[in-house]
Amino acid sequence: MSARTVTINYNDKIVRQFLLATVLWGAVGMLVGVIVASQLNFWRVNFDLPWLTFGRLRPLHTNAVIFAFVGNMMFAGIYYSTQRLVKARLASDFLSSLHFWGWQLIIVAAAITLPLGFSRGKEYAELIWPINIAVAFIWVVFAVNFFWTLARRQERHLYVAIWFYIGTIITVAMLYIVNHLSIPTSITHSYPIFGGVQDALVQWWYGHNAVAFFLTTPILGIMYYFLPKAAERPVYSYRLSVIHFWSLVFVYIWAGPHHLLNTALPGWLQALGMTFSLMLWAPSWGGMLNGLLTLRGAWHKLRTDPVLKFFAAAVTFYGMATFEGPLLSIKSVNALAHYSDWIIGHVHAGALGWNGFMAAGMIYWLLPRLWNKPLHSVGLANLHFWLGLVGILLYVAAMWTSGITQGLMLNATTEGGTILAYPNFLETLNTIRPMMLFRIVGGGLYLIGWLLLAYNVWRSIAGAKAVDGSVDVFVADEAAHAGERLGVGRTFINPPVIFSTLGTVSACAWMFGGDFLKIVGLFGTILFVILAWAHFGARSGKWAEWYDRLLVSAAPFTVLTFIAVAAGGLIQIIPTVLVNRAQNVEDRIQVPYTPLELAGRDIYIREGCYNCHSQMVRTLVPDVLRYGRPGVADDYSRLGDSIYDYPYQWGSRRTGPDLAHVGGKYPDSWHYQHMLDPRAISPGSNMPNYPWLVDAATDVGALPAKLRVQRTLGVPYPDQSPAAVFAQVEEQSKAIAAGLKTAGIEVDHDREIIALIAYLQKLGKSEPAAASLGRKSEGQTSKVAAASATPTP
Amino acid sequence: MKNDKNAHIPPDTDGTPIREHVFDGIAEYDKRLPNWWLLTFYGAIVFAIVYWMADQHFPHGNDQTRVAGELQRIEAAKLESADANLDDATLWKMSRNPVFVDAGREVYNTNCAACHLVSLRGKSEMATAIGPDLTDNEWLYGTGKPLDLLATVNHGTAKGMPAWGPVLGAKKVSQSVAYVLNHHKEPAE
Amino acid sequence: MSAKSIRPNRDSVTTIRDDGSRLFLHPADAHGRFTALRRWSGWVLIAIYLALPWIPVGGHPAVFLDIAHRRFHLFGLTLAFQDAWLLFFGITGLGFSLFFITALLGRVWCGWACPQTVFLEHVYRRIERWLEGDAVARRRLDAAPWDTTKVIRRGFKQVVFFGVSAVIAHLFLAYYVSIPELWTMMHSAPGEHWSAFVFVFVFTAILYFNFAWFREQLCLIICPYGRLQSVLIDDHSMVIGYDEKRGEPRGKAGTPDAGACVDCNRCVQVCPTGIDIRQGLQIECIGCAACIDACDTVMDKLGRDRGLVRYDSQTGLGGGKTRWLRPRTLVYAVLMLVGATVATWAATTVRPAALAVTRMVGAPYYLADDGVRNQFMVRLVNKTDAPARFVVTVEAGGQPLTQTGFNQVVELAPLAEQVQPLILQVARADYAGPFTFRVHVTDEAGTYALDREAEFTGPHRSLLGIKSEASQ
Repeated sequence: MSARTVTINYNDKIVRQFLLATVLWGAVGMLVGVIVASQLNFWRVNFDLPWLTFGRLRPLHTNAVIFAFVGNMMFAGIYYSTQRLVKARLASDFLSSLHFWGWQLIIVAAAITLPLGFSRGKEYAELIWPINIAVAFIWVVFAVNFFWTLARRQERHLYVAIWFYIGTIITVAMLYIVNHLSIPTSITHSYPIFGGVQDALVQWWYGHNAVAFFLTTPILGIMYYFLPKAAERPVYSYRLSVIHFWSLVFVYIWAGPHHLLNTALPGWLQALGMTFSLMLWAPSWGGMLNGLLTLRGAWHKLRTDPVLKFFAAAVTFYGMATFEGPLLSIKSVNALAHYSDWIIGHVHAGALGWNGFMAAGMIYWLLPRLWNKPLHSVGLANLHFWLGLVGILLYVAAMWTSGITQGLMLNATTEGGTILAYPNFLETLNTIRPMMLFRIVGGGLYLIGWLLLAYNVWRSIAGAKAVDGSVDVFVADEAAHAGERLGVGRTFINPPVIFSTLGTVSACAWMFGGDFLKIVGLFGTILFVILAWAHFGARSGKWAEWYDRLLVSAAPFTVLTFIAVAAGGLIQIIPTVLVNRAQNVEDRIQVPYTPLELAGRDIYIREGCYNCHSQMVRTLVPDVLRYGRPGVADDYSRLGDSIYDYPYQWGSRRTGPDLAHVGGKYPDSWHYQHMLDPRAISPGSNMPNYPWLVDAATDVGALPAKLRVQRTLGVPYPDQSPAAVFAQVEEQSKAIAAGLKTAGIEVDHDREIIALIAYLQKLGKSEPAAASLGRKSEGQTSKVAAASATPTP
Repeated sequence: MKNDKNAHIPPDTDGTPIREHVFDGIAEYDKRLPNWWLLTFYGAIVFAIVYWMADQHFPHGNDQTRVAGELQRIEAAKLESADANLDDATLWKMSRNPVFVDAGREVYNTNCAACHLVSLRGKSEMATAIGPDLTDNEWLYGTGKPLDLLATVNHGTAKGMPAWGPVLGAKKVSQSVAYVLNHHKEPAE
Repeated sequence: MSAKSIRPNRDSVTTIRDDGSRLFLHPADAHGRFTALRRWSGWVLIAIYLALPWIPVGGHPAVFLDIAHRRFHLFGLTLAFQDAWLLFFGITGLGFSLFFITALLGRVWCGWACPQTVFLEHVYRRIERWLEGDAVARRRLDAAPWDTTKVIRRGFKQVVFFGVSAVIAHLFLAYYVSIPELWTMMHSAPGEHWSAFVFVFVFTAILYFNFAWFREQLCLIICPYGRLQSVLIDDHSMVIGYDEKRGEPRGKAGTPDAGACVDCNRCVQVCPTGIDIRQGLQIECIGCAACIDACDTVMDKLGRDRGLVRYDSQTGLGGGKTRWLRPRTLVYAVLMLVGATVATWAATTVRPAALAVTRMVGAPYYLADDGVRNQFMVRLVNKTDAPARFVVTVEAGGQPLTQTGFNQVVELAPLAEQVQPLILQVARADYAGPFTFRVHVTDEAGTYALDREAEFTGPHRSLLGIKSEASQ
């Protein structure tokens, strides 16, 4: 085909659709956030309705903000910029529409199912399995549409924004699918295939990287397009883009275990989580610096242009959040901050400051260009910026104060460090309650700012005519660039890839190898780092040339990105999944739940109790003093304590106390009264009342199917007939009801509250591992290796 | 950039390279990063390697053994503050020592008198009192041996007496027991 | 590139050379009213920073954050952990003040009051000036070969810098342990207080690195507040700017049709962040006003009007009239007043004592022969320096409640806290369901009161007829 000029009309309709969806879902997500924040101080804001309780709405808030708000924003930004950066219309109008409507349908389904209590019980992965399949399908539609567009591109080189989009698409697909692998027990319920520590590890590999690859990398791509466009300045540094892209995608994946520091997670994984988080500081700041220094020459425009104000502040908050993140990943800092509001403040600095402000800046910049009419009011946009900034200030200041205060109080000891200064958890909760009030004010101001944006959008597009962009492109003769793209050989056989591979393989040998291999690996790692360094010094031109060719080769680029992001996960998760169960229990092993207790556990998950209660006594003295049982030596949580937990319930925030050892701590009557009216038992508690647990009957009918799946997963249940299961449930529940009666409480034995009490009283029940192994699986090795050592046998 | 009001100022004159590709109007400089920034990255990598070596090659115990050790130190401190190796004889001895008894009186009056009354006579003195008489020789828990008494104070009872061990600490518990024993005679044996 | 002829441009950061290495700035001395004023204000601020842990107010240092005993002494006010929420007002108050001041006066905080600038300009740079001479001499020393003289001069400077950093670090520690305690620590072996020793050592190292070498890089790249201040500036905020209309086109004195600027580059030479103020508002400008003094000096010599570079708003520099009263500044002022009022009110709610009521661990209630019993723990904290005597009563709104515990006045030593049981009982026949009661604490004189609500709970009434030993 010979050279000619063609006109490309961009598909901007899809951008407008996603943009309007962003405005809508942003408002919904933030509104739900303000409601749940209010419930922490005024529990009555749930109006005693099951579907408005904190445990069910908090997942709605997080899912709405991540997947509905940032998701739609990301799609709008990616579709707008990609078409222009590669000079091609989106490959398929049908796929684009399917993507849009499919995604909105998923959001609506989530908004209905989450308040109803349909939940998988894992944070940001609560949606039930049919919706999981829909999400995966729509993501594939997005991927096909995107890569097909790349294949039809008229701009041969891939700009840095496109790199980040590629990284996002493949990584999110990988994370989402692995963390949602489940076996259904019914159309609305399933158990994840991972349990206990494996589930914890997979969950935070996913959860941390949802932050990395859903909230960060796509937005960095968007920054690389919209920020220089708005500033009308060249990007500050291309080589900075290269370094921070590859280091970010490679390093981020490894940092997941920093959500599980000081827990029962094996030490080598904690070490990786902490050190890789520290390594993340510089690459993250690379992105911030590139954005900031690109703005440098346009700094004077900041006074007047709200778009640049939003971008400059967003980049600043990105820098603050990515400085705080590594700090919080240091084990000793984490010991104070984890499970506290400090973490909540940290994520909101990122979500409100980085994501929310990038979204606002992008929307204000796009409006006049998509509807061909000036922004209705620059003054309102400035007011939005100001309200948002004040909102973030109030919110983050409140959460810092709260987190540090509560952390210090929970860890404070007296009598020469032998007993806790504040043994009652509620005293610490009541101390931070004023902060919970201020956070509502901060969040409320931020929401009002967003509503101003919505109004501005509405007034700006009312009566305006939508316009689609177009560009005239000179299409070069294909033959002129034949052979420019990398083939398979050159993709893999080149200095950067070879050195990276050899270095990583040596590092793995060092980490996992036996005595000899370990030494070889250590020296290999050092050797290859030095070799790569020397080679780059001598042949940097060759490296740059190869990279230039990689940038015209979308498929090889994608493959290499995938390898870079897959490495960390594989190295962390596979050893944890493959090692013999026996190595994962330490000295204790959980006693499996009875069918009634299992039903109670599913109620616990339905009500979202894990949003406020952890089940993990960390290897920290204050934790053991507070949650250890009298008479049990060194009573921190062992891996074996939760080995049959599908899903795991270690939790991430202690608004209430840890429940890992709550079984047997209080009488049944205590739990009964506490569930109906927590304040009657615990003055000042902010936990909701759960009266419906007395009204509803336990879903015993679902138990045989659930037990079958649990057996498949490896929980040692006997093969029982449904009738036998029902009989067992009846016997246990009647015993509990009878016990309650002697304490003056009349309740039918088939009520949900009985199942929940049964579950709570079981928490922490375990037996010596050796006895259990000997009994349950003869012939299997009874040697219990400490899983906290390196994963080598 | 073109309509820049400072356009009279010469643009980049220090020869910063600009990349030949322009994407939808976006150009890219190819400037160096501050070397100190790069050093923080290399420094973090070196730290990771050193940390891993220290953690894995020179095992100084893991989190589990470390916390167990700290808990043992706390246990030791408790034993020490309770004047270690408490046995019946020692507690009897403490109950005759005015220093202990005075300290014990203070602990008792603050924490125990609410139920057992300042007189220690509980229900015997006042029918509405909550706790039983501690001066008679009838014991609901154990046989009245000092160690039984200590255990009851430390761990509480099902009738509502809370476990005072984690609230008061070992020292104050033993002082309060000494004070109660002060109201009793050591059996002649 | 000779540092003397720095020609900053808007596409590069002056202090990062093309090869990524650091261009170490040697700002020339500026002389003039702002420099003098800044020096005065800098010394006053340093004096305040140094004095706070020394001056006693109400028996404690003016600022003493006593982490070890969980008490915070601020200008005579003593706070416990339970009052830590007031910290929120501190943080947001600083935030709002920054908003307000920035809207009015631009980055005046950065240039005049930030500890980074204050210590760098008025301590470290002064030492450098004193030991190594003016900018020209310092640059000459930079370029000189590493002979004995240079090693000694540079080495001595670093030793002094390290010593000054150590002094500042110790003073910083004094905020947390108080001066006498610090003195004791300094006279004992490090092993007796490892954490404090390591803290001071690390903090000294950080200060030394920052002030001896890192300097303006902190403001340029690390510090988020400077950037946030930049986005809070509008066309009427005071900034340091160059009067382009008057200055351009530049030319040597006497050139016909030339503007007032003689392109002497003095403003660039004195700049501590290496920018050219004539290129407009820039991310690096910390508003230190050195360029104003430098330019005024030159203008005075030339017999021209001062103020070619001056404090003015963008509007003012463009020939317009700066509006001080504008919606933004009014709203900020109102908000600051509201914030200050709320904070003052909050501070007045801080009582010289703290109170907490929690339920004892165990069953929610106990059934005894004669009644239903609830057990609580009450924590009392005396935050004053005098012994305090408290009267604790229970108000149950007419419920027939018997209270044991707190039958007498509670006496607490200075700064002591105590947890004590409170046992409440209702006769079986009188119990008609859960009710709320109030724990009421006053000091013996009745000058203040503290209240906490809690709930009295019991079994279903049907059970109360049954004779039972206990609920369990």
